[in-house]
Amino acid sequence: MTINTLAKGGLQPEQMSCFRKMEKVLVAMQDPDMGMKMRNQRLLITVIPHAMTGHDIITWLIQKYHICEEEALHLGEMLVKYGYIYPLKEPRCLVLRPDESPYRFQTPYFWTSTRWPASELDYAIYLAKKNIRKQGELVEYEKERYSLLHKRINHTWDFVVMQAREQLRASKQRRKADRIVLECQEQAYWLINRPPPGVQNMLDWGLERPNNFSTRVPLIETSRRALGRNRVKSSICLEGFVKYSEQYQNHDPIMQGCLPSNPWISDDIAYWTMNSEIVPVPTRLRVERWSFSFMELLSDAMGRREFMTYLEKEFSAENLHFWQECEEIRHGESSKIIEKVEDVYKNFLAPGAARWVNIDSKTMDKTLEGIKRPHRFVMDDAQMHIYFLMKKDSYPRYLKSDLYKNMLAKAVVPQETKKSVFPFMRRQRHSSPSPAQAGAPAAEEDGRAGTNSAAGSHF
Amino acid sequence: MGKEECKTMLDALNKVTACYRHLVIALGSTSDSQNLREELKKTRKKAQELAVANRTKLTTLLKDKTISKDDRAEYERLWVLFSSSMELLEVDMKRSLEIGQDFPLKVPTRHLIQTGMTGSTNAVAARAMSVQNMKYEADSNIDTADLRDLQTEITQVSQMMEEMEMKVQVAPWAVVAKQEAGAELKSNMSVGNSSVGVISICEEEPKDDEGGGGREGGSGSIGAVVVFFVIVAVALVLGYLVVNM
Repeated sequence: MTINTLAKGGLQPEQMSCFRKMEKVLVAMQDPDMGMKMRNQRLLITVIPHAMTGHDIITWLIQKYHICEEEALHLGEMLVKYGYIYPLKEPRCLVLRPDESPYRFQTPYFWTSTRWPASELDYAIYLAKKNIRKQGELVEYEKERYSLLHKRINHTWDFVVMQAREQLRASKQRRKADRIVLECQEQAYWLINRPPPGVQNMLDWGLERPNNFSTRVPLIETSRRALGRNRVKSSICLEGFVKYSEQYQNHDPIMQGCLPSNPWISDDIAYWTMNSEIVPVPTRLRVERWSFSFMELLSDAMGRREFMTYLEKEFSAENLHFWQECEEIRHGESSKIIEKVEDVYKNFLAPGAARWVNIDSKTMDKTLEGIKRPHRFVMDDAQMHIYFLMKKDSYPRYLKSDLYKNMLAKAVVPQETKKSVFPFMRRQRHSSPSPAQAGAPAAEEDGRAGTNSAAGSHF
Repeated sequence: MGKEECKTMLDALNKVTACYRHLVIALGSTSDSQNLREELKKTRKKAQELAVANRTKLTTLLKDKTISKDDRAEYERLWVLFSSSMELLEVDMKRSLEIGQDFPLKVPTRHLIQTGMTGSTNAVAARAMSVQNMKYEADSNIDTADLRDLQTEITQVSQMMEEMEMKVQVAPWAVVAKQEAGAELKSNMSVGNSSVGVISICEEEPKDDEGGGGREGGSGSIGAVVVFFVIVAVALVLGYLVVNM
C-alpha cells in the first residue's frame, strides 16, 4: 500500500504545461488530412501499421509550424526524449534521426505525466512480467532494481506476482501484432520513467522545480501583481552598476589585491587587524570610502565616531544620536522596544526635550500617534527624515571640513610585505581540510593550516 | 472455508484489474471504439462488485477476534493484496476518465493516436467478464454518458478506500509476502515462448540468443517451406518414375 499524500482533497499535481503542449502537437499529427504520413512496419511475418520515419516527422513539423530545420529537429528531439514518440529500431537510443529510421506514437496511457507519476508498484509488475517473458534473463541494472524493489515493497510482492501473471494472460488474448506493439510501448515508457544508469533522467528537474503556484493563486492575480512592480530601465540601472564598479574597483581585494598581503595566501592576518572596527589609525582606503556615500560613513563604526565629533562641533549631534537610537529600536530585542521608545520620546521628541530633534510637523504628529502603540517600526518616518537631513546638510560639509581632510592625511597606506627571496622560506599553502573529513586525524601541517583558516574565518 | 473463498474472490478481482488496465491502455489509440468504451464500463462494474464483495468478506474476517495468529497474518496478507488491487483500480479509473474526456468518439474528425494497435479488445473483456463472447448493446453516445457514471464511481471507490483505511487496523508494512523473488518464473505459464518468438525486433541490445530467436522463427518458416518443396519434388520424381515404368 503506497502512502497517498495527495488523497483526501489534497491538491493533485497538475500536468506540466510543456507536456500539455507536446500532447497538442501529437494530437495535431493525427489529423487525417494534415497529419503525419504513416507507413507500415514490416516484421518477419507480421505487418504493423502506423510507423513513420524521422525525416517525415521533421518535414511535418517544418510545414505545420513554419520553423526552420534546426528548430524542427530540436522539437522532434523533445518529443522523443519525453516519450511521446519512440524509436523502433534502437529502442534504448532516444534520439530523433532525420533519416529513414522508424518511429511510432505512444499511447495516451503511457504519455509522460506529472499528474500520474510512475509508481514503484507498476515498475515492479513490469519487471516481473519481463522476468517471465525472458525466463529470468533481465539486464543487469534491471536485476538490481528488481531485488531492490523486492526488499522495498516486500509486503505487496504476492500482488506483484499475481498481477504480472494476469496481465500477461490478458495480453495473450490480443493478436500478435498488437502484442508486439504493447510490449514496445511499455518498454519505451519504462525507459523514460526509470532510465538505465548513466542515462539522464528526463523527469529530473534538479534545482529548478516546476512552479506549481498557478494552481493555488490564480494566474490573473499573479499577473496583476507583476504589473504593479516597480521597474527601472536597464540603461539606467546598468549605468549605476558601472559607476559603482568603477568607484569600488580599487577597494576590492580580489580585483586590486589587498595590502599588506592576502591573509588567505600568506597566513598573515595583518590585513584584518588593520581594518578591524576600532583602530588608532584607519587605512586610507577606508577613509576614502566614507566619501562615497552617507551609508558607508554611517555603517563604519569609526566613521560614525568621526562624524559625531564633527556634529558636536556644529551643535547638531542630537540628530545622529536620534538616528542611532532608532536603529537600536529597529534591530534590538522585542522586549525592550517599549522601554526604548519611551526613552526616545523623552529625550528627543517631547516638547522641551534635552536633545530635541527638528522634525516637520506632519511626521511629528504621525510619530506621536504611533508611540501610543509602540512597535518596532514606529520611528521609521522620523528616522528617515533625520537621515535625509543629515545627508543633505551635514554630510557634504563634513566631507569638506578640516576634520575629514586631516583624517585622510593621517590615514595609513600599509606596505606590501616583501616576498621572501628564497622560495623555500615561503610558507607552503595548504588547502584547509574538507569539513566532511572532520573526524579524520589531522597531520601537523594540516592542523596548522586548519587553525589558521579557522582563525581567519572568525573575522 | 473462509480463506479459500477469499482467495478465489481475490483472484477474480486481480484478473479483472489486469484486464481493466489492459483496456485503459488501449484508450485513445486506434484500438479505441464504442465497443471498447462499453467493455470498459462493464469491466469496471464487475470490478466494483467484486471489490465490495471482497471488502465485506475480509472486514468480517478481520473483525473476528477469535481467530488464531496465523489466520490473522494470512488475512492481513489477503487484505494487502486487496488494497493494492484497489489502488491500481482507482488510478486506472481516474486515468480512463481523463483520457476518455480528451478523446471523444462522437466528433466529426476523431484524433485517435495511431499507435499501431488496430485489433479489438473483446477477448480481453470476455476474459474479465468470464464469458465466452461479449455482447454489445449500448447506445452510440456511450462515450459521454459513461463518463458521468465514471465520475460518481470514482468518488465511490475513493470513499470506500478511505473507509477501509480507517476501519481496518492492518499495518501493511508488517505483512510478509509468501512469494520470494523470482517466484513468477516457477509457474507453469507458457507465456514465455509464444510472445518472445518473433518479437526480438523491438527488444534491446542485439544479444545472440535474441537474434537467434528471431532468426529461428524466420528460419523455422523457411525450413518448413524448404521441406515442403523437397516433398513435392520427391513426389514428382516418384510420379514420373511411376508413369514411365
